[in-house]
Formats: sequence, C-alpha cells, structure tokens
Amino acid sequence: MSMDTWLKKMSVRSPWLFRINAGSCNGCDVELATTACIPRYDVERLGCKYCGSPRHADIVLITGPLTARVRDRVLTVWNEIPEPKVTVAVGICPISGGVFREGYSIEGPIDRYIPVDVNVPGCPPRPQAILEGVVLARSIWLKKLGLEG
Amino acid sequence: MAGFLKVLVRNLMQGPSTDPFPLGETFTPQRLRGKVHINPNLCMGCGVCRHSCTAGAIDIRQLEDGTGFKITVWQNACCLCASCRHYCPMGAITIDNNWHSAHAAEEKYDKVEQQIIRYEPCSHCGSLMRPLPLERVRALYANDDSLDPKLLRTLCPKCRQIEDAKRNSCKLPGAPGKSASANDDAATPASAAPTA
Ligand code: SF4
Ligand code: SF4
Ligand code: SF4
Repeated sequence: MSMDTWLKKMSVRSPWLFRINAGSCNGCDVELATTACIPRYDVERLGCKYCGSPRHADIVLITGPLTARVRDRVLTVWNEIPEPKVTVAVGICPISGGVFREGYSIEGPIDRYIPVDVNVPGCPPRPQAILEGVVLARSIWLKKLGLEG
Repeated sequence: MAGFLKVLVRNLMQGPSTDPFPLGETFTPQRLRGKVHINPNLCMGCGVCRHSCTAGAIDIRQLEDGTGFKITVWQNACCLCASCRHYCPMGAITIDNNWHSAHAAEEKYDKVEQQIIRYEPCSHCGSLMRPLPLERVRALYANDDSLDPKLLRTLCPKCRQIEDAKRNSCKLPGAPGKSASANDDAATPASAAPTA
C-alpha cells in the first residue's frame, strides 16, 4: 500500500464540512447548526466536523441563492477548498433559486457557477434530510477518492 | 451535588438523546410537509395553484396535440408553503410527509410530481373538455332533483347553456301554453287562478 492510499484510507472516516452562506435567509443555516450542535442529530457521529478554514474542508454545504453581492466571494472561497471536494446544495435556494428565483439581485442557481454533487431540497430541509445528504455526499467523496464502499 | 446525581441517574436511565438516524430509524411528525401530490381525478387545470404558488414551482400547459394538459410541480423549487393546497378549489393537492428529499445532482430535474390529464369529448357536440368529477357535480346541483348530474358532467359549457335554456324556457313568464305558476313567489293566491 502506498503512503498516499494509506493516508486516504485513514482520512475517509472524517470528511470535514465547510459551510458557505451564499445569501441565504438564515433558515437553512439554522438547520445546519441544528444538525451539528444539537445532540439529537449530532452529525459528528459520522466523523464529520465543521471546520473554520476552507482549506481543511472535504464536503462543502452551500445555502442561499447566490446573490450578486456575494457571488465573487463565494467563488473565491469555494476555489480555496482542495480537490476532491463534494458540493452539497442545501435548501431550494441554491438548487433553483427558490422563492428568490429571477430576483434582480440573484445570480443563482448555484450550478451556473459551481458543479453541484448533491441536492437537499426543502425550505429549509429538516435535519434528518441534511444528514441523508451528508451521507450521500460522503459516498460520492469516497468514489472521488477511489475508495469505494 | 445532589442535583448532579439526579441528572446522572436520569441520563443513565433514559439513554442517549441522540436520534439513531441515519444508522437507524427516526420519527416523522404526521403533519410534516414533505412532497406535493396532485390527484389527477380531481384537478381541473384551473391554474389557481400556479397563481398562488410562492416559489413558481407549478407549471400547467396544454399537451401539444391539444388532447389534455400536463401539470407539474418541481420539488426542487417548492418551498412547501402549502398555499397551493389551501387555494385549490378542487382539493386536488395533498402534501405527504415524505422528507427523504436528498438526491444526486443528476436527478435534479427528475424530482417532479407530474400528472397528464386528458380531455373528454362533450356528449352533445364532441368538442374536447375537462369534465368535472361526478362528486363535485352532485354537490353543485344538490338542490335540484330534476337535474341529472351524470348527464351534466358530460356536457361542455356551451351545450350545458343550451340545455339550461331549453329547460328554463318553459318556465319563462308569458311563454306560450305555460304560465308563471312555476314561480313560487305568489304561489298560494295565484295557484288556482291562471290555469285556463
Ligand atoms: S431554502 Fe428557504 S430556508 Fe433555506 S435559505 Fe432559501 S429561503 Fe431560506
Ligand atoms: S391542482 Fe387544483 S388549483 Fe391547481 S389546477 Fe388543478 S384544480 Fe386548479
Ligand atoms: S407548497 Fe407552496 S411552493 Fe410548493 S407547489 Fe404548493 S404553493 Fe408552490
């Protein structure tokens, strides 16, 4: 086993999460915080952990419809995240624009700029749905690493 | 100290408060809004839901060959406000509590509730129209036994007007051969008099 594969195998237990708010109403962010901080949902059981720096992240959760004002900043931060990364769109806002669709200040949906891997629709989605999305993102992440299963 | 012991004992008795999901089962509230469904037997294509939809998630369009219409609700745009369910005059919209919405991005445009509803020919003139559900027609004409809801629902609005005119013409005041006796307003004093 090469050093590289060994390191990958060691790290698969713990994909770190990073959160980008692309102009969301905060509803989805509250649910993300709930998913992480409330013992009932506790996303850290899956080895996931929110990290403060995009450079440490493996799975990025994006909320919000990508407003004109944050677009460039979101893209800058997103580009900082090392490959292979998995992008999860949380809420209908990043997926389709949601209730803000076709608004004058809306640049989204997010997949016009960023390749999205997993969608979790809802306004906001319930924590269990977000957990399901993270589990799905984790399996996609493993595939991207070449460590299926 | 005593307080701490109480908490400790309670926690030991009750076990962890963490929901086992996604490794096990979770709870789902009965009235949780998860996904919109349309009952194709009830939907008339009136467009009230589309008009009231907060997120513009509903699309109604004619089929290309004109034999019906297609109503689509895109789950990835629906904010589950239930406004459509509230305003639908036919009660055709239901929202179930299936919250398993996470999906791979390739399925983005597959997450729809779609119903194709065919028109039926009018039993008189044969033009295509969407008949009302029988239950609804029964309720609409419940106050008049002389009307046949089964026949009425198979008539297009134009033929229904004609039928209605035919039926009512004999009740018009001054129509030949008949009098205003069908009119109940002055029934008691006039009932015997005008019958020639
Ligand atoms: S999906 Fe709904 S709850 Fe989430 S950010 Fe958009 S508007 Fe807010
Ligand atoms: S679902 Fe209801 S409101 Fe919408 S078009 Fe059908 S009948 Fe009209
Ligand atoms: S629940 Fe609200 S957003 Fe969803 S289809 Fe109905 S009206 Fe539109």
